[in-house]
Amino acid sequence: MNNIVHYALTYVRKYDTGMPLRFVAVPFPFTGQPKEVDVGYVTGKDMLTDQPMMHAVVDALTKPLTPEEKITGAPAEESVEPRLLPPDTEDNLRALFDERGWADYNWINLPTEKKVMAMLRGTSHKPDEVIKTINITGGARPLTVEKVAISAVMAGASPEHFPVILALATQAPFGNSTSSMANMVVINGPIAKKLKFNSGTNAMGPYNRSNAVVGRAFTILSKTAGDLRNGINAWESLGSNFQYNNILYAENEDALPEGWNPLHVQMGYKPSDSVVTVGTGWTSISSVGGSQELYPVHHLMRDYMSALTASGSSATIVMDPTVAGLLQTAHGFKTKEQLSEWFSQNAQKTAGNYWGNGVIQSVVVPLALQGLEPYASWRKLPNDAMIKPFTNPRAIHIVVTGGKIQTTWFVTDFGMRRGVKIDDWA
Amino acid sequence: MKVRVLAGILLGLLAAMTPAAISARPAPGKSQPSGKAKPSSAATAKDTLPDPDVPRITAQEVEQRIKTKGDVVLVDTDDSVTYGAEHIKGAVNIYYDPTQDVTNADQTLQALPGNKLIVFYCNCPHEEDSAPMVKEMWELGYAKDKVKALEGGLTRWEQLGYPLAGTDLPKSTQEKGQ
Repeated sequence: MNNIVHYALTYVRKYDTGMPLRFVAVPFPFTGQPKEVDVGYVTGKDMLTDQPMMHAVVDALTKPLTPEEKITGAPAEESVEPRLLPPDTEDNLRALFDERGWADYNWINLPTEKKVMAMLRGTSHKPDEVIKTINITGGARPLTVEKVAISAVMAGASPEHFPVILALATQAPFGNSTSSMANMVVINGPIAKKLKFNSGTNAMGPYNRSNAVVGRAFTILSKTAGDLRNGINAWESLGSNFQYNNILYAENEDALPEGWNPLHVQMGYKPSDSVVTVGTGWTSISSVGGSQELYPVHHLMRDYMSALTASGSSATIVMDPTVAGLLQTAHGFKTKEQLSEWFSQNAQKTAGNYWGNGVIQSVVVPLALQGLEPYASWRKLPNDAMIKPFTNPRAIHIVVTGGKIQTTWFVTDFGMRRGVKIDDWA
Repeated sequence: MKVRVLAGILLGLLAAMTPAAISARPAPGKSQPSGKAKPSSAATAKDTLPDPDVPRITAQEVEQRIKTKGDVVLVDTDDSVTYGAEHIKGAVNIYYDPTQDVTNADQTLQALPGNKLIVFYCNCPHEEDSAPMVKEMWELGYAKDKVKALEGGLTRWEQLGYPLAGTDLPKSTQEKGQ
């Protein structure tokens, strides 16, 4: 059975309404298909009853309710796992965690009471403190400090990492869509040096313990707290490899050009604050080789930006300090904000490219149809007309990291939420 | 050797898939999600003003600014049916569902322009549904002075006889707003 149909029949019925709802089902996906395909779905058969589709629709709307369909009241809650699992061998327990989909299928540190208690000593917050309540279909379930500690242990973190992971937990779980949604996590402030997060050579690569375990903790936390299980309620068609570590790195604040503020300071925090910032997006395009004098680096970045969705004007440009220096000295960008403004004014794409994106269709078209500008006007343009879709320079973030080895950079569509102060979770 | 491990993280094994994210419940104390007009301010006059840190703007100020500068985007936070029935003329609709995490609306909220004054309003007496949207806009990086909640919401706007639109309005009322 198609996964989404399965979801509708089980989860929606059991947990959204408490009673069975009547469904008819066509194959998935239907967006972006040739018109004949969608017409074929309607003139074809219902996947569930094998009746002609419109007969099934009429039946579902007109047949008297069964006793089961007359059930009222709150849906029954799913039974929950016990706080402690029965004792077993380490191998068996690891196999159990894999079997239940509780980890990322890499080797985990088993969350024994002793290890979890040690992790909890990394914060002044009480184990039963509720960080947030995850509102999943079956009801609201609290995410406590202790639950985050369990994930932190599983990921291989140490107690000194725990305040960072707790701050991250306020942003959990990570995105879950049908396309390849992912996250980017940026560490700023004194904690970066204190815990030796990597902001130098290979800042975004697998060469640093803090980057590795904190990024992984967000994955495990998101999967377990959000109960994301493949093919049941997590169904990104392709998925995203970024979700193994969530692109976690620190900003190289020491190497920022004069006048360029760290990300957290741009967001209103003091330089002495330690902050973790989480972004959400899909796309990352890497530069290849060094920047060339022939074509200014910010022009090439601008060109690459035409491939981004521009949903919410969101973009995050991650660059080596050498690129930041070049942009400041050779091209006159005295602040990050000036560069963001330049991108907003100069990045273009065709109207067809813009409206051809599924997220834009679902998010922006309703606003355009209600008359919101500039979208209403853009809707009337021919496909080959050029538009400037990054209308909000505040949504274009610049982050400097890396080892000053090469003038390389990434253009991404990650939209950054306001950072979370780590010091509040110490 | 046998070990005993905590499975507490797994307390709660159900998830809803939304297009954007698994959701988290907002702060308690929100009004009902949709439907007809919500309780009048008189009925809840003793209530504490929710989200007092969210700046309010009066209907008079908004109406004046629309006339003089025209750089205002009004956002109705009711559900689409209620919005369709009656809303401030020119407003767009972004639904605030108090039973869901406000971040579910992030993709849409981020589409709002950053260079205009954005005014959220609800059909509720003390901006119970519009104020959380203002706060979420701050989290998304919008300047604090560019996002406000309409004091008194739709009710106050209507009391002042300012322009409305919607299928439930008598034609004469709609024309008044033209």
